[in-house]
Amino acid sequence: MYRFIRFAILLMGLISANSSFAADAQLEPLTTADDLGPVVEQPIEFPHNRHAKDMGINCIYCHTYSRRGNVAGIPPMQKCIGCHQNIESVRETPRIKKLFEYWDAKKAIPWKKVHDLPDFVRFNHERHIKRFVFQQNRPVQEVCGACHGDVKEMTVARRQKSLAMGWCMSCHEKEHVVVAAGGTPIGTAAYWYAMKKPAVKADGTVVAKGPNDCSSCHY
Amino acid sequence: MMDNNFDRRDFLKVLGWGGAAVALTGCGNTSVQDGKETVVSYVEAAAYVAPGISTYFNSTCAQCEAGCSISGRVREGRVLKLEGNADSVINRGKMCGLGQAGVQHHYNPDRVREPLLRNGDKGETITWEKAYELIAQKLDGVSGDNFDFMTGTISGHLKVLLSNYMDSLASKNHFVYEAISPAVQRAANLKSYGVAMPRFHINKAKVVLSFGADFLGAWVSPVHFSQQYAQFRKGNDGQRGVLVQVESKMTLTGANADRWLVVKPGTEGVLALGVINALGVAGLSLPASVAAMVKPYDKERVSQETGVSTEHLVKLAALLKERSPSLVLLGSAAEGYAHGSQNAAAINLLNQVLGNVGKTIEAAESVPFPQIAPSLGSSAALRMVGNRLADGQTKVLFTYGVNPVFTAPKDSNFAAHMAKASFKVAFAHYLDETALQADLVLPLDSALEDWGTHVAEYQPDGVQISIQQPLMEKLHANTRGMGDVLLTLIKKTRAAEYAEFEDYYAYVRTALLQNKRQFADAGVDDDVFWNDLLSAGLVNVAGTSNKLVANLASEIRLPASEGVDAKFPLRLIPSVTANLRDGRHANQPWLQESPDPLTTIVWDSWVEIHPKKAAELGIVEGDIVEVESKSGSVKAQAYLFNGIHPDAVSIPLGRGHDAMGRYAKGFGVNPFPMLDRIFDDETGELAMHETRVRITKTSTRVIVVKDEGAAGGNQHGKKIAMSMASDAVDLSGEA
Repeated sequence: MYRFIRFAILLMGLISANSSFAADAQLEPLTTADDLGPVVEQPIEFPHNRHAKDMGINCIYCHTYSRRGNVAGIPPMQKCIGCHQNIESVRETPRIKKLFEYWDAKKAIPWKKVHDLPDFVRFNHERHIKRFVFQQNRPVQEVCGACHGDVKEMTVARRQKSLAMGWCMSCHEKEHVVVAAGGTPIGTAAYWYAMKKPAVKADGTVVAKGPNDCSSCHY
Repeated sequence: MMDNNFDRRDFLKVLGWGGAAVALTGCGNTSVQDGKETVVSYVEAAAYVAPGISTYFNSTCAQCEAGCSISGRVREGRVLKLEGNADSVINRGKMCGLGQAGVQHHYNPDRVREPLLRNGDKGETITWEKAYELIAQKLDGVSGDNFDFMTGTISGHLKVLLSNYMDSLASKNHFVYEAISPAVQRAANLKSYGVAMPRFHINKAKVVLSFGADFLGAWVSPVHFSQQYAQFRKGNDGQRGVLVQVESKMTLTGANADRWLVVKPGTEGVLALGVINALGVAGLSLPASVAAMVKPYDKERVSQETGVSTEHLVKLAALLKERSPSLVLLGSAAEGYAHGSQNAAAINLLNQVLGNVGKTIEAAESVPFPQIAPSLGSSAALRMVGNRLADGQTKVLFTYGVNPVFTAPKDSNFAAHMAKASFKVAFAHYLDETALQADLVLPLDSALEDWGTHVAEYQPDGVQISIQQPLMEKLHANTRGMGDVLLTLIKKTRAAEYAEFEDYYAYVRTALLQNKRQFADAGVDDDVFWNDLLSAGLVNVAGTSNKLVANLASEIRLPASEGVDAKFPLRLIPSVTANLRDGRHANQPWLQESPDPLTTIVWDSWVEIHPKKAAELGIVEGDIVEVESKSGSVKAQAYLFNGIHPDAVSIPLGRGHDAMGRYAKGFGVNPFPMLDRIFDDETGELAMHETRVRITKTSTRVIVVKDEGAAGGNQHGKKIAMSMASDAVDLSGEA
């Protein structure tokens, strides 16, 4: 019995020592179970709902670079002004006034980064947009929303998913049918997956998982 | 645990559970940061700009005089990385370490950002308007004879503007200074070949005999020659090229040689004449005058004077006779003596005797626009400026691209003489030693922010005019391009003539457009031509071809073997390393960090001593030794090195700054001041290898910081790389 007690005490001590060490390293508590990020204050409270829901503007209209490169990008102020210089009805509202203050001073708006991955992770938007929007022809809001949540209900963006590696892998680990039963390939472009070859099932469907090569994202 | 019953299994269990606990607590979103960093979008971006996607712009490297063309990768408006421009015949897409460090010249935290006016010991920030006013005021009433402009090597349209500016002040005193330059060679080449810098076709030679020319490191155009060297090694007609290096201290090129011959410092010319004699003995036909001249240089005498064995001498002659064409190169080591010109003449004679002229040595083409051809620097310029300052002839001194206070021998008293000028302006990127002596420091755009054209001295094919264009917007609002500064200055006196040029960019553009016909097809639109030119980053034009002459030297006077100076028994070899050169880039930490190829030492200077000499003097690696000449002394760590003549020691040039920023100041020692003021008899160039020194041990010893590890790079005695006597090697089976 004493042996057990000593054992347990040692174990507790080790765990608490480790936990307290890790806790000090964290700046804030772990996110809650629904992976919701904190509310982030932006210099201008940009209403996504007004633009994406009411106006029905496509995400990629502003976040143009998502189909071009690594980052989707916050649009240059020119994009906002392009429309708003012609919209008299909201010209004197507080947020638009603030926008034009920045524009007249030619000062860039210092937005706060909401979806900020650590520097050792390199996520590439272009490949995901190419695959899901242009190849699988899914609606843009559904594709963007899969990772960024229902942005059309928000004003400023708030992180909706954990963005941790495990969460990314949960999608990459799903088996996708790339060739349907009967030999019909899904989509028009070839599928290529690093490391894991597509598996051929009994009925002729070919399924594959997403890239799980470390260097796909950590290079 | 006190209880002995605690056994291994429990220990492992605890370890396992504890480990899991750590892992579990380490999971989760501890590294995704919400709302901490800012992402600043553009205000207005050009259509082709996309974050994360790079655009490439071509320009010209300004880190040395080779003038390689570069391609800069620019992302989000910032230049991030430089690579070579594939279209350049000089560097063909390649680049050296010095070039890579160009970004550090640009982003250097110690760049001068504002015009500074001296107030006692301090520099006070003033506006550019005030600075120009002050210059106009100080030049007022000063005759052109009393105005001196000291620059480094200069070419292209900046040179044109500068000469026009000098003209506008009725001054002929533009001095071009380079602390390290092949000036002796240029003069000797003119005499022997009729051109100052011929083309050397290393890739066409079967044997290269280099008298200290470090063509893989820092000689003339290293990136170009390195590529030629690769072809040379691949071989002509299936025969791999053989490199023989003759020098008193091993250079990077020497380390690559098949045969490295150490010579007594200064006796390179004697060896060259000895080789000619041996060639004659081996049966090569020599012109009568030459045969008579080399008759006294028989192999015994030459061997005794140079230290090269008769066996090697004969072998070398045999090799040169058998494999033709060959190429004999001449480096700064051979030039650096009072008889440097004679050494050069002897070495050039060897090329002529071997029939290399016209085969591996050819004339370069003349630049079709001589006004943009490079003005080449020499150390004689330093003497001229120094003398004029000392005599009080110089009232106003402008400096650009030179640091004479750092590179001048102490006995020249340059800094003291400089103080005599009533007004000194330094056009500078950093507060280096010379800028600190100035009355007014004007901050310049970096090489990656400025416009310009460049014509390099060494032109391997045609004549390449390299374009320099900004790779990004200015980092600091108050720097100016040198061209813009000169344009503003010249507009003060010649306003009408230059009124049409809003800035230097307009000046260069107009000048190049005026000569459009020579660069492009007739009828091409101006804007199309200009955009294509900028896109390419260079233009190659045919120059007027030249012929080489065959001037055999009629008389070569080499000094007899000198006795040993008892007070200063050793010779000092100030070495030129590829990454430091004359010290202009010591504030680029990548270059300080790059280990010296031979000693692998970083961030510090050293004194290379042959192990035999070190044993004699009781010196071990790390001992701080004092190296003293008549003119000065330095203290540095000793490094034992087999690749040096036992009667010589070597200290690298380029370190030992006491200004020029946090990465340069205080690292290493500067051997420039301790060089004796001995000059080449013919050209007046500073004979940098003539300095004699003595070494004394101090009581300090340090650990040498080097990459090769404590055991050292010396493989002697470790039976790692075995060597055999050359006559015991049977290469008949080799392909």
